[in-house]
Amino acid sequence: MTPAVDRGLTGRQPKAVQSALAILEAVARAGAGVTAREVAEELGLPPATTYRLLNLLVGEEYLVRLPDLHGFALGRKVSALTRGEGVVPLSTAAREVVAELRGRVRCGVHLVLYTATSLHCADVDPDHPLQAPELLERHLHASAPGKLLLAEQPDWQDVLQPHRLHRLTDRTVARAADLDAELRVVRRRGCAVQAGQVHDDLACAAVPVRSPAGVLVAAVVVTVRSADPAAPAAQTAPAREYAGRLGRLLG
Amino acid sequence: MAQRSAGVRLPVQSPVAGLRRRRLSFLEVLAQSVSGLAPSAAMVAVPSIVLLESGSATLPVLLAATALVVLIGWCLTHFARRMAAVGGTYSYTARGLGPVGALVGGWALLIGYAAVAMAALVGSAVYLAGLFGLDPSPPVVAGACVLLGLLGTLCTVRGIQLSARVALVLEVLSISLVLTVLAVLLLAPRSTPGTAAAVVDGPVHWGAAVGVVLGVTAFMGFESAATLGVEARRPLVSVPRAVLWTPVVAGVLLLAAAAAQVVLLRSAPLDVLTSPVPVAELAERDGLGLLRRLLDLGIATSFFACVTGSTNALGRVLFTMAREGVLPAALGRTHPRFETPHHALTLALPAVVGVPVVVLLSGSGPRAVLTGALTVSAFGYVLAYVLACLAMPLFLRSIGELTPLPAVAGSLAAVAGVLGLGVALGGASLWGGQAMTSVFLTALAPGLLWACWLRWRAPGRLAAVGVYDVATVGSVLPGSVPVEPVP
Repeated sequence: MTPAVDRGLTGRQPKAVQSALAILEAVARAGAGVTAREVAEELGLPPATTYRLLNLLVGEEYLVRLPDLHGFALGRKVSALTRGEGVVPLSTAAREVVAELRGRVRCGVHLVLYTATSLHCADVDPDHPLQAPELLERHLHASAPGKLLLAEQPDWQDVLQPHRLHRLTDRTVARAADLDAELRVVRRRGCAVQAGQVHDDLACAAVPVRSPAGVLVAAVVVTVRSADPAAPAAQTAPAREYAGRLGRLLG
Repeated sequence: MAQRSAGVRLPVQSPVAGLRRRRLSFLEVLAQSVSGLAPSAAMVAVPSIVLLESGSATLPVLLAATALVVLIGWCLTHFARRMAAVGGTYSYTARGLGPVGALVGGWALLIGYAAVAMAALVGSAVYLAGLFGLDPSPPVVAGACVLLGLLGTLCTVRGIQLSARVALVLEVLSISLVLTVLAVLLLAPRSTPGTAAAVVDGPVHWGAAVGVVLGVTAFMGFESAATLGVEARRPLVSVPRAVLWTPVVAGVLLLAAAAAQVVLLRSAPLDVLTSPVPVAELAERDGLGLLRRLLDLGIATSFFACVTGSTNALGRVLFTMAREGVLPAALGRTHPRFETPHHALTLALPAVVGVPVVVLLSGSGPRAVLTGALTVSAFGYVLAYVLACLAMPLFLRSIGELTPLPAVAGSLAAVAGVLGLGVALGGASLWGGQAMTSVFLTALAPGLLWACWLRWRAPGRLAAVGVYDVATVGSVLPGSVPVEPVP
């Protein structure tokens, strides 16, 4: 008997990886709707190999098969590769809208921008600054804008591993089942509220900013020094009004 | 290269939204398929029936049956790798044969799932009665059916993850029990060949063909993971894997159980071979009453898992049809908290429990109900599989991804399926005989009539047939594909 040897990538595997990447590039170049046969023709790959690799990439969600089942498009995972890099700078018009809201409410108002799988604190309230914006960006399960983003995912566990539900305070939701229940409430209400899950004495609410097509692009976050979730929830009505205006600017 | 993005629009929400998305691991998806197939019950019951038909050719016959089912499974993976369906082979068929072909296949599939759920319910009740030392008289079995049916519905409505996990535990338990019992029996000392040896080593004749058909029926339900397109994590990977691996694993188990039974039954009297469960009979005669109880427990749990598995699949096919507008929209609702198609599931329950209970109370023996329902379900499944295999090359051609191998495999599987269906329909020697053929055709008739009525009177309602969990705005790179305008 020959001893088992871990031979790593051998034989035809490097070629398969190269072909898969070439297919990814070909779909990116051709744009949404390109068919399997077109990809095979452009790359000069055997059809059966192309179809197999396309199905693999679709299975891993780097590519998506469009509803007609013929065409392909880049999947949301592609944007996850770049994390926050895809965030565009905030326009002055949007900053002015946020500043106007700050003048109307007596609490911290921040604007958070989303990519498909991450968030970025784009405009932090200068009068009531966030204590630690990086906590919001890293611990999506704890903060209100993070919960809003997770509620939008087909499967939040794609974005956040269940074993990474770190306990920041005693009240942080740390069990996958509890987070599931919270996200259901977020979806039903259309906004996310948390109290004491990031810092013991702070509560916040996140109101979604959607593009005219309905895609979640940003969130207006209000923070209140309180341990009661009702306190930030009371501020969501004005925030919603401004979120509608921001949607047209950011979408 | 042509740019095709102009015509493509993505919806904001999937047409099958409402089910709990992307939660089931591969093992849980596999458990759905395995429970739909009820391997332990098949391991104990099928080899002896095949032995009676095929004699010394039993093992090759079962190998051929396994190969045929794996071929069908391979055909189905071509759909499963490309679309995450909730309607199983029904939704697949729609993509190749159009709405009318799909409705015929879908109705046959509904008959398959419903009838096998009935059979498993009765089976579970019979073996549970045996376990507690009760006489499995029709009223006792009917009572147990109602209780088990309620329990099964509770599991399925409460959540797919719960019922998949229950099924996984029950299947592991029951398969190990059956394997243990067979191993113990093999170790027990055996005397000279018994009177059954003449049948076990009997000559090979045309009965082998019937044997293959009977062998195939042991695998029915193996594709039921195809109804978990929304609920499975990474469905385009885990569903095809489950659909392909279930018949492979079940085939190995079935062959091992058959090999053991060939050895055991060779030295047994003929009346053991012709008894309903020869392995249990052998254990009884060897004075191993405990083994028999263990076997009863194993079969009862396997059958119960099959009830939940088949009801899950049945509910999801009904749910899909309702979302398409083919059936009343109420059946397409999902439970707000459990995120299961609870209306479809609770509609299926009275049928699955009611039919066997009424038949039992009208005086039929539990075993006759069990085998009769199994026969009807086998007809339904095979018809659904044949249509799906036939649809596969057509589907691949329509999306421009047809290669020679799937074309050959699809045609081969469809031809073999049609031949099997012919043998089964014509073969009076099959369990339930001709009566079950007419029961199946009677059950199929409303589906055919409904399909024809829709085709001629309301073709608009057929337009949506074939819905699946399509890509939405959230599944692509943001901004890369235009969004469908909200109506």
